[in-house]
Amino acid sequence: MTAPASSKDRAVSVPAVRGVRWSLASKQAAFGVAIIVPTLGILAIFRFLPMVQALYLSLTEYDLVHPPKFAGLANFASLLQDPLFLKSARVSLMYVLFSVVPVIPLSLGLAALFNRPLWLRNVLRSAVFMPVVMPAVVMAVVWTFMYQQDGVVNTILSWFGVDPVPWLRSSATSLWAVILIGIWRATPYYMVIFLAGLQAIPADYYDAAQMDGAGTWATFWHITLPLLRPTLLLVIVMNVIVAMKVFAVPLIMTGGGPADSTRVLPLFIYQTAFEFFDMGRAAAMSVFLFVAVMLFSFVQVRLFTRQDDNR
Amino acid sequence: MTNATGTVGPRAPAKRPAGSWRTLRKRQGSIVAFIVLAGVACVTLLPFYWMASSSLRTMETMFSLPIQWIPDPPNWKAYVLAWKAQDFSRYLLNSGFVAVAITLSNLLLCSLAGYSLTKFRYRGRGVMFLLILSTMMLPLEVTMVPLFLIIKKLEWANTYQGLIVPFLVDGFGVFLMRQYMLSIPNDIIDSARIDGASELRIFWMIVLPLCKPALVALAVFTFREAWDMYIWPLIIITKDSLRTLPLGISLFMSSYGTSWDQLMAIAVIGTLPMILLFFFLQRAFIQGIAATGLKE
Amino acid sequence: MKRWSMKHVASSLAAAAILTLNAGGTVSAAEPPANFPKQPVTIEIWWHEYGPFTAYVKELIEAYKKVRPNVTINPVVTSSGDINQKLTVALATGTGPDIMDQDASFYELYYAKGVLEPLNLDVFGAKSYDEVAARYTPGGLAAATFGGKIYALPYQGNSMSLFISNKAFAEAGLNPVKDAPKTWNDMIALGPKLKKVQGTRTVQKAFDFPYHSPRWEIQMFQPLVEQFGGRLLSADGKRAYINSPEAVKALTLWRDVTKVTGDPKTTMNTPSNPNQDFIDGRTAMWVTGPWATSQIQQSQVKDAFTVVSYPQVDPAKPHTIVYGWMWGVNKAKPEAQKIVAWDFIRFMLAKPDDWLAKVAFVQPVKGVNETAVAKNFPFFDVHMKDVATATWYIRSEYTNEIGQAVGRAIERTVYDGMEPKASLDQAQAEVDKVLKKAAP
Repeated sequence: MTAPASSKDRAVSVPAVRGVRWSLASKQAAFGVAIIVPTLGILAIFRFLPMVQALYLSLTEYDLVHPPKFAGLANFASLLQDPLFLKSARVSLMYVLFSVVPVIPLSLGLAALFNRPLWLRNVLRSAVFMPVVMPAVVMAVVWTFMYQQDGVVNTILSWFGVDPVPWLRSSATSLWAVILIGIWRATPYYMVIFLAGLQAIPADYYDAAQMDGAGTWATFWHITLPLLRPTLLLVIVMNVIVAMKVFAVPLIMTGGGPADSTRVLPLFIYQTAFEFFDMGRAAAMSVFLFVAVMLFSFVQVRLFTRQDDNR
Repeated sequence: MTNATGTVGPRAPAKRPAGSWRTLRKRQGSIVAFIVLAGVACVTLLPFYWMASSSLRTMETMFSLPIQWIPDPPNWKAYVLAWKAQDFSRYLLNSGFVAVAITLSNLLLCSLAGYSLTKFRYRGRGVMFLLILSTMMLPLEVTMVPLFLIIKKLEWANTYQGLIVPFLVDGFGVFLMRQYMLSIPNDIIDSARIDGASELRIFWMIVLPLCKPALVALAVFTFREAWDMYIWPLIIITKDSLRTLPLGISLFMSSYGTSWDQLMAIAVIGTLPMILLFFFLQRAFIQGIAATGLKE
Repeated sequence: MKRWSMKHVASSLAAAAILTLNAGGTVSAAEPPANFPKQPVTIEIWWHEYGPFTAYVKELIEAYKKVRPNVTINPVVTSSGDINQKLTVALATGTGPDIMDQDASFYELYYAKGVLEPLNLDVFGAKSYDEVAARYTPGGLAAATFGGKIYALPYQGNSMSLFISNKAFAEAGLNPVKDAPKTWNDMIALGPKLKKVQGTRTVQKAFDFPYHSPRWEIQMFQPLVEQFGGRLLSADGKRAYINSPEAVKALTLWRDVTKVTGDPKTTMNTPSNPNQDFIDGRTAMWVTGPWATSQIQQSQVKDAFTVVSYPQVDPAKPHTIVYGWMWGVNKAKPEAQKIVAWDFIRFMLAKPDDWLAKVAFVQPVKGVNETAVAKNFPFFDVHMKDVATATWYIRSEYTNEIGQAVGRAIERTVYDGMEPKASLDQAQAEVDKVLKKAAP
């Protein structure tokens, strides 16, 4: 998959004369390249070019007004000694870890539950899916409202005898409050992708399994999960990328507080660029973010594709 | 995909419980599943209920203690006031137009790119995939200034092009379609080729219909992201006639006092189109399930 | 701006002759300054959304069209939370507006970055900046003057005073005028009488400090430090005294007052609405500015509130704070547009009593308290008294960093129970680092 130059044309199985095969193969390859060109063109201009420029800015001192001045690795060196940056990186890591890890079993579990006969299935599925359609700004405002000391969440908790939790008003709980709504919104999102993946599994496999007398759990473990590998890769990588870039929700709900407890890296990057006018430093921070996500994704893709290639 | 049967084969044969016992267990499982999902649905719907009911509260009862679950009496005034405060019909139209254009283009371009990345072999394909992935990894906050300079050079500030073209295709969509298409067996495509179908025809008539669930998922997400788009329009739009809905909503959050009832009313208005779209697509979604022949 | 014409001299003479409270200058609106462009000119003005403010500025744009028919003005309204980012990107990419609207604390930064055009004296019919400054209250232009030149003009200079709920006081058997706290010790004494707790819930706070944004935290913390005789920044802004003994006293007082009067965990105040708790009756006393008057009057509180002077450590040596928003002109624009921009700013600011009547914004100009509108404005004398003892909100190229560092220190102490000294030491270290970066 990742070493196409040396790989054989397994996708093209036209036999017979070598010459014919080659021309057919190259014609097909030409079509394959042609259909990806528009995508590459648009991404090159509107994503890649700005990205390369942003990476360059990380090596400069740039106050957004005067032209950038080359500064070498100064931004990176000073960041590594900045407790505020390290704190923010730690908050981001916590956010990613605790908003990604629970989402995967939750969304897969929900998808599996919906992928079977069920009373009122369509109604329930629509209801569970709803968080996906709520605009982010609206979500942040409504949840801020619900998280108040005398708000809905604490009222419901009080029915179970739980004392009021100062959700957004304590450094100890604020990050968890933000993580909880991250999970609230992400789980149905990935549930749908898992559902799509589940539906791509041909019914024959299940029939065969049932014939063998496999229980629900065994079928899920031995058939569903292996066949869901591409979807699993997608969900893990996307989930991490989205979680790493979370920004609007903490900005609106807490502004990063109290006492920096919810200042995730993208929020700190935003403040450094647009409130402190230090774009060079902001770009350097995002390089750390970039490298972290890129490394993680690369490892994941490698891990998952090696086996795909050996199909 | 080909080793899937391999996974099924060597599995240890399971005990075969008596028929009646099995149905009972199945029914029990269904009841448990139903209770769990109903509970989850309450959690997912609560904020919607709270948003809608708050839009009907008066400011006097908005924060009353203990909280008032059902607005009494319902107060529809906020909707009228909020709707009149800004040119919301225009903002809705703008958001709708931008989101539809971006969604349609993503559906086409992402599935083409995903198809190319899975079913064709050419030099540099793996690198291309990683490059496309990498475009998702920098936050907009740092790429915004360079991107704006490009838009400025193209003289696209304050235009629909400026709002739409940079988002015609997105790495996430390509990734999603690629992952889904990995599960489409190559044999189907090969046999169509042997039948003499053109490449474009194979894509349009065979591959795309098989991708229906993924396309629906992609449509919902792309539409939402476009509908949600906030910082980019904030930066490039200065004409009121080109404002999108989230910018209109943010005008309600002024530092001199927010009318919560009106803010909630506008939030409802801003969420409704997404809900309608979802219910529209939900039918396609269910049909998609039927089409792939999943056992119900 | 060196060209002097007869017309100009005539208009300055007229200015000297007629003593009005016309802050924007005394050149007659019908008569453009000598160097005013004759050709059609289009300028863009950006401001932050606030219903009455937007309505009034739009009204002014219409009126301006009549006196300067060759000028077209494009208005762009953005929410207050977003205007900074929009403006920053615009300035970075050379696409900004001709006239910008921004919180006064940003102008030091803008001046340092060289994006501001100094005030056009010709347009204002003045010979010197001092002449313009003389029309303002003492210190009224402090946040707009750099290196002896004026770079911006405030349309609101907000003092902060104590707003009292008459209802809450009456329920506690108190008189909102007679029993109003004059000192922080009075405040602590009043706490138990006004704070209402039901079980674990605080139903009504006696008084609350703001926590919804670093900006508001500084607005309360800075005067406290000054009341103890300290200051947050040196006059040149190059040194910070965040962990000075006075600041430690201030934060200790903050914490002690909060314990008796408030409950920082119970608040509906947000950056979108700082006054939410007060207008909902969750807080009996709240510090805010005159601009809040119309909002409070329109809420369920209606007119049942009293405004008294900002509480003090020592009423004999009062210290309060003033902050505001100002208009500035983008230096990068062509000369003709910059002249028009300053002319329109002059035109907009010309009627301080209209600003007070229509928007409840107090321009820091002389004579505003003499107007009929001011005499009818609730508690205007209190606001004027407090503004007379006010210092401007800290000004530095690094206001945002300093504000955040201090805000964090307050939150560490109030929310997490950290000792004030330790908390402020940490903030001092953070701020020192930023200031050192500035002067290597």
